[in-house]
Amino acid sequence: MSKVFGTYICSGCGIGDAVDMEELVSAASGLGVVAKTHEALCSAAGRGLIQADVDGGVNTVVVCACSPRVMQQEFNFGEDKITVRGNIREGAVWGAEQPSEARDAATVKEFTTEQAADNVRMACAEAKKTELPVPFQLETLNEAILVMGGGIAGLTAANEAAKAGYKVTIIEKADQVGGKALGWAKQFPTKAPYAELEEPTIGALIAEVEGNANITIKTGAEVARIGGSPGDFSVTLKPAGAKSEWDAPAKVGVDEQDRIEKGTMEDPNVGIKKYTAQNPDAEKFGSVILATGWVPADVSGYEHLGHGTNDKVVTNAQFEKMAKEGKLAGLNSVAFIMSPGGEEHDMDFPYANSVTSMVALKQAKYVRENNANAKAYILYQHMRTPGHLELFYKGVQQDDGIFLTKASVTAVEGGTVKAKDTLLGEDLELDVDLVVLAAGMEPTTKYENSINLAYRQGPGFLDLGLFDGYADSHFICFPYETRRTGVYTCGGVRKAMNMEETIDDATGAALKAIQAMVSADRGVAVHPRSGDATYPEFFMQRCTQCKRCTEECPFGALDDDAKGTPLPNPTRCRRCGTCMGACPERIIGFKNYNIDLVASMIKAIDVPEEDDDKLRILVFACENDAYPTLDMAAMRKLSVNNLIRVIPVRCLGSVNMAWVRDALSAGLDGALLLGCKYGDDYQCHFVKGSEIADKRMENIGDTLSSLGLEPERCGVRQVAISDYNKVPEIIEEFVAEILELGPNPFKGF
Amino acid sequence: MRVNPDLDFIKYMKGAGGDTLKNCYQCATCSVVCPLSTDEKPFPRKEMIWAQWGLKDKLVSDVDVLLCHQCGDCTAYCPRGAKPGDVLGAIRAYMYTHYGFPSGLAKMVSNPKMLPMTIGLPAVIVLVMWFISGGMHLPSSEDLAVQGYSQFFGHWDWHWLTKNVAFIDAIMLPAVGLALYSVFRGVTTMWKDLEKENDVSAKFRPSVKQFVVDFIVPSVKEIIDHKRFRECTVNADRVRGHKPLVLAFIGLLIVTIYSAISQDVVGLFVEGMHGPMSLLNPVKILANVSAIALIVGIGILWGNRAATEEQNGVKGSYYDWFLIYEIMAVGVTGLAAELCRLMGIPSLAYFMYYLHLVSILMLFLYMPYTKFAHLVYRTMAYTFERYRQSSFVK
Repeated sequence: MSKVFGTYICSGCGIGDAVDMEELVSAASGLGVVAKTHEALCSAAGRGLIQADVDGGVNTVVVCACSPRVMQQEFNFGEDKITVRGNIREGAVWGAEQPSEARDAATVKEFTTEQAADNVRMACAEAKKTELPVPFQLETLNEAILVMGGGIAGLTAANEAAKAGYKVTIIEKADQVGGKALGWAKQFPTKAPYAELEEPTIGALIAEVEGNANITIKTGAEVARIGGSPGDFSVTLKPAGAKSEWDAPAKVGVDEQDRIEKGTMEDPNVGIKKYTAQNPDAEKFGSVILATGWVPADVSGYEHLGHGTNDKVVTNAQFEKMAKEGKLAGLNSVAFIMSPGGEEHDMDFPYANSVTSMVALKQAKYVRENNANAKAYILYQHMRTPGHLELFYKGVQQDDGIFLTKASVTAVEGGTVKAKDTLLGEDLELDVDLVVLAAGMEPTTKYENSINLAYRQGPGFLDLGLFDGYADSHFICFPYETRRTGVYTCGGVRKAMNMEETIDDATGAALKAIQAMVSADRGVAVHPRSGDATYPEFFMQRCTQCKRCTEECPFGALDDDAKGTPLPNPTRCRRCGTCMGACPERIIGFKNYNIDLVASMIKAIDVPEEDDDKLRILVFACENDAYPTLDMAAMRKLSVNNLIRVIPVRCLGSVNMAWVRDALSAGLDGALLLGCKYGDDYQCHFVKGSEIADKRMENIGDTLSSLGLEPERCGVRQVAISDYNKVPEIIEEFVAEILELGPNPFKGF
Repeated sequence: MRVNPDLDFIKYMKGAGGDTLKNCYQCATCSVVCPLSTDEKPFPRKEMIWAQWGLKDKLVSDVDVLLCHQCGDCTAYCPRGAKPGDVLGAIRAYMYTHYGFPSGLAKMVSNPKMLPMTIGLPAVIVLVMWFISGGMHLPSSEDLAVQGYSQFFGHWDWHWLTKNVAFIDAIMLPAVGLALYSVFRGVTTMWKDLEKENDVSAKFRPSVKQFVVDFIVPSVKEIIDHKRFRECTVNADRVRGHKPLVLAFIGLLIVTIYSAISQDVVGLFVEGMHGPMSLLNPVKILANVSAIALIVGIGILWGNRAATEEQNGVKGSYYDWFLIYEIMAVGVTGLAAELCRLMGIPSLAYFMYYLHLVSILMLFLYMPYTKFAHLVYRTMAYTFERYRQSSFVK
């Protein structure tokens, strides 16, 4: 496409008063672009001005006005036009400092004008390098959904996806579908007044699923491996428990491969096909829902409670079985113990939450319904009954024979339960016929890979240890997501949840699975860059097989061949650009975001020479939190130091260290990476990006030292989206450090 | 503490006005608003869970339950509608039955299903005595005006004891005697339980005089003053009813004592002490004022309780209403008997007098088992509280 540029600078929203507009126009012309000004570009008249030019042949529009985060529809001139936004309102004018004794009004205007002019230059440079995206298309798209696990979660997800018109296959290890719910004697109440237990509904759900022609059920089977990518998963099935040459291979990293070759380590994948091998008999699916659920936790480790040694002590799962089989006869008193900590702590059993509280209430009802003279004791540290289930708690409390108290259970000896710190004000001893422990619900992913992917980064989800083994992304605000695109989790594998929660969860996961397939079909990204039609493109001729991109991709999108050359799977990709940031050869880029484009933006910045007051500090701000935070600070008219020049990036992980070197060699005096919190409580939208950026910046510090530059000229700072009141200070401190160091000695070279 | 909840006790509590006790989830809002609550004894939160768990032994020896004067703050602030105030009332009802002697009588009085028996027993006793006395007649209007009710049970010429007084004594003295014995027994048992439960053991005991002067008298003063009642916020209105009622009872007690002395002692020697007093007699004025105060006071309490119950949409407990009806009956029948006498309608007058006798007998006889027992038990709880803080114990 040959570009015809149209550049427009807005003087509305106070811009015209705060800066010298002529300077901005001449900044654009310095890059060979003629700019028009208007007092309100977003108004009908302003847009009419642009539209007239577009109609006259302009296909690359540069709008220098407000932040790209606002007015997106107003400045949308069609998908076949390139639109680039220069942020001079929030990015310069609104965040300008107030005139003071140190700097009078004229100086502030001068500084603000320079900042705005640089933003205009960067926008023009960006427009010059931006190409229209061409969405990636799979050769064939498969629109069937694989549901792993035939419990309530799996059945519901299958049912919902089938109702939406998609073909679904359910894989269930057991001989019949239904899962744990088949063993429930009664269910929690689901309708007002939430007082009575309900008969199990799992039978009706099974019948509905079995009767749906869109759903195929395979029992006694499990997944050996899943290869491919969203829209084109290759799934090899096998009989449950069997071994197969198509089992998902364990991850063999670079170091392990070395040791295997030297003979110091056994190859874990003997007899198993390589992960890149294609099984011609595999079934094709578009997306996968993992609903393999949970297993009852083993609580025999709490010796003072005696599970496993004292035959009067059972778990809640065992008690449910007794109730289901009608073996409650002769029980006159039962104690339910919710927390094992004794005197040490008040935590519930691990992997317990509101569900175990509810189960204790339900099972206390069993005791009473079975025998009108029976007594049920519930010894809790936390009674969790969220939402309308509080009404169930109230209802159970009404029962004359159900006795509740907060308590630290110190011992179970025979049929005697001993407890301290009770609400009764005294230590307690209860003689009971049976003791029931509220054991938790452990996700299957705690013990096994479950998902069995044939991916370079290994068969399981990564870093589940952060979530106690739950297959939960803990992406902020985004349930269902995993770090494997096209694979969504729901039900007990994600969190201990009751049936109603599970049904909601499974419905959501079904919709996400459909969304993933539709996005693959359209060639656009899924969350968090939903709808992005760009994807990373590799200039493979220059690849040195260093494997950094394949190692660092947070989503395992890149496989590799025997030599280590990356094999991209664009539908697995979330478009964060971490591969681009990783690549030392700089061969990875997107149509509208690549090494050359950002380098050009850096070069476009005007660096004044021999003026110690006008240092230039480059800020790479993550688009997800840091950039909005800067915008918000400006919207609140908080002064943000105007020596900074901000380039928004998709994720700090996409920042290639070449840019930092470019900036410093261009004479800029410092570079700051502003991104999300990393570590165990990370807030990075791409999980690992900001963490990786931090490591890279440590390494570049060494490089700078060897060049005689202070490593302190580069920094990484973490901000959250709510930190708008702190971000001016963070930047001020960094700028002060650079001012302390003085101008970049390379200035002018 | 080895615990085995008593399901029957919980059922009893629910029937005796504590039907909301199972709502409590131990948030302790009640203890925050209750002036009786201390850090060590979160009252009435702890009593609520004891009641839920059916721990009646702990409750009957809990002095705080008696110190509570049902101000209603806990009930008003309870976020879960557990109405601790009402539950405490039910616990007190249970206490009076628990300490009541003989227990058969106590159980009968506390059981709403036995109400016909509860009323029938005194009604029959008075009626039978009337039959036995042979005084079964209606006087003429003139006789009524002169004699009043002094010949209700007939007349004999034995100077030293009139027939009427003899029969009234025969009815009332055993009843009062039984009540006093029952209350004494109940209070001493309770006192022992309180000492045990509160770890109170005196190194040396106060003399009877010391006990009365140092502990009982200040307690009674505090009660008459309604000091604690006035600390109430929600139910502050009750002072307006309860105080006239207490004063009315004191007034009527004075009148009764005066009447007993004037008729049964002085009357033996001085003629003309029998028969109705002049309406201008200061004692008669006191009697009439007290009677009206009694009716007004109980009327206010009646109205308050009815309004609260309607506002909260709850049904009142037998325990509370029994005493209200009973005191109202005493007041109304007494006043009606007096009016009928003054109007000279013998048949109606005698019938009213009969009802008055029955209601008074009920008041005396059932005092230890009904809410009326708080008169004694609560006074003793105040006394115990003073005692346990005194130098005798510490």
